Amino acid sequence: MYRLLTAASLAALLVYSQTASAAPPHPGRVLASNCFQCHGTDGRKGFEELAGKSASSIYQEMKEMQSKAADKNIMNAHARGYSDDEIRLIADYFSKVPH
Amino acid sequence: MKRRQFIGLFGASALGLVLPELALGEDRRRSSGSTTTTTTASSSLVPTDTGSVGSVVIVGGGMAGATAAKFLRLWGGSNVQVTLVDQNATYSSNIMSNLVLNGSTTMSQLTYNYNTLTSAYGVKFVQGSVVGVVPPVGSTAGSVRLADGRVLFGTKIILAPGIEFDDVPGLTPALQENYVPHAWRAGAQTTKLASQIRNMRAGGTFIMTIPASPYRCPPGPYERACVVADYLKRNKPGSRVIVLDANPFIQAERTNFERAFNVTHAGVIDYRPGQSLTGVTVSITGGKHAVTTSSGTEYADVLNVIPSHRAGKIITDNPVLANVGGRWAGVDVRSYESTSVPNVYVIGDSASSGQPKAGHIANQEAKLCADAIARALRGDLTPNPAPKTNSACYSPITADTASWLTVVYGYDAVNKKMVAVPGAGPIEAAAATQDNFNDMKKWFATLMSDSFA
Repeated sequence: MYRLLTAASLAALLVYSQTASAAPPHPGRVLASNCFQCHGTDGRKGFEELAGKSASSIYQEMKEMQSKAADKNIMNAHARGYSDDEIRLIADYFSKVPH
Repeated sequence: MKRRQFIGLFGASALGLVLPELALGEDRRRSSGSTTTTTTASSSLVPTDTGSVGSVVIVGGGMAGATAAKFLRLWGGSNVQVTLVDQNATYSSNIMSNLVLNGSTTMSQLTYNYNTLTSAYGVKFVQGSVVGVVPPVGSTAGSVRLADGRVLFGTKIILAPGIEFDDVPGLTPALQENYVPHAWRAGAQTTKLASQIRNMRAGGTFIMTIPASPYRCPPGPYERACVVADYLKRNKPGSRVIVLDANPFIQAERTNFERAFNVTHAGVIDYRPGQSLTGVTVSITGGKHAVTTSSGTEYADVLNVIPSHRAGKIITDNPVLANVGGRWAGVDVRSYESTSVPNVYVIGDSASSGQPKAGHIANQEAKLCADAIARALRGDLTPNPAPKTNSACYSPITADTASWLTVVYGYDAVNKKMVAVPGAGPIEAAAATQDNFNDMKKWFATLMSDSFA
């Protein structure tokens, strides 16, 4: 399931695993929380429900938005703030939120 | 005897924090084992065991404090006891409050309570006025003392007191409440200013002054000028809006606001940058108020002076915490822990973080802080290597159009600050539109839900 994640992300996951006594949180959780203000806590409401969406579709949408005119849509502007690795982590997080 | 010493130590801290070494005492250590927090039964939203154990007291129930409370429970789990303190039982939203001024909404519609935080997340809410804070030291709890004598204990303390206003020559709090409201902390003054605008004569003059940055909500004053101008055009023909800005230029969404001032509201808004406020003379007999700047004196039928800002009193009362010019709290933006007092965190408008002072980003600061604390409380002290935040906001330009602004911030490890990600802002909307106005309502509802529900 983590094949989209980079080595750095997996390393981060490992750190979480070693330090937490219970199940570790997803390494993309706090990063993905940047989306909650407009897409609801854990992506469950708001402009577009992200909870349970496939990681590949979230990734593709973000990449498309990055290439569109920034001032035409707030997400076109917003998408530019996240690296490929970050988008993959965010997408993976939402894909695993129970829907 | 010990009890008396304990009170005495707190007494010494009445003006703010005492130094950690002053706070070390047997009584306090003993008390730390029985924190006053008794959280209610957890719902399924709060995990039972994340490995995090501790207690957190949060001072201030605004956008930052409320969000931190929710996410500490959501991410920290049921063994992280969270107490949220505010002097008011409800929160009045600053966001959207300019729309009270044109009658589109009311303060009661912009009022939020803490019921969901307590019932669904098991946060303990305490209404009270904070008069002293003793920082936690290691695993020894710190404490927050209230004016009525109650003391709350926490192994971590978050301060989210928002802003305080500087004095304006010629204005007292009573004059502000009754004659020249700032309406920059939403509430009774917002309603007062709305009523003054509604009762203003046609052909009258509304004057507002904008303080030097940093102030809360960078686009907010310009948005206010637009909303008021739009209202006056339709309801009080011939009226003018004079904007006296202490800053050298428009501080946010410059393209949209310049278009609004020069085209949309041309002939109504008279925008004057670089105007330092020197004094106000209030008329309490119904005459005009005088407002004097470096460029001269103007006379207003309705006067709205927004004073310059500083961090909340609990911060500025303690010079150690207010380590940025004595006015703001320096923080490590990877966790929002104070750069001078360990185990005390400052989020929202009181923090000096390189980011704007606004509700949307305060929400995100709170989540980064909650994540760092939840991890610390299970022994993971690894700093977040790449904290990310975003600022997004919509600004009404008329009664049914709005623009927007967004910036994504990333961590500059060299300067230890949050900086705009290259290419990711500030970016503003191509134009003010009705679609943006509708999006604004959805953004606001979702944001408030992420913080309070």
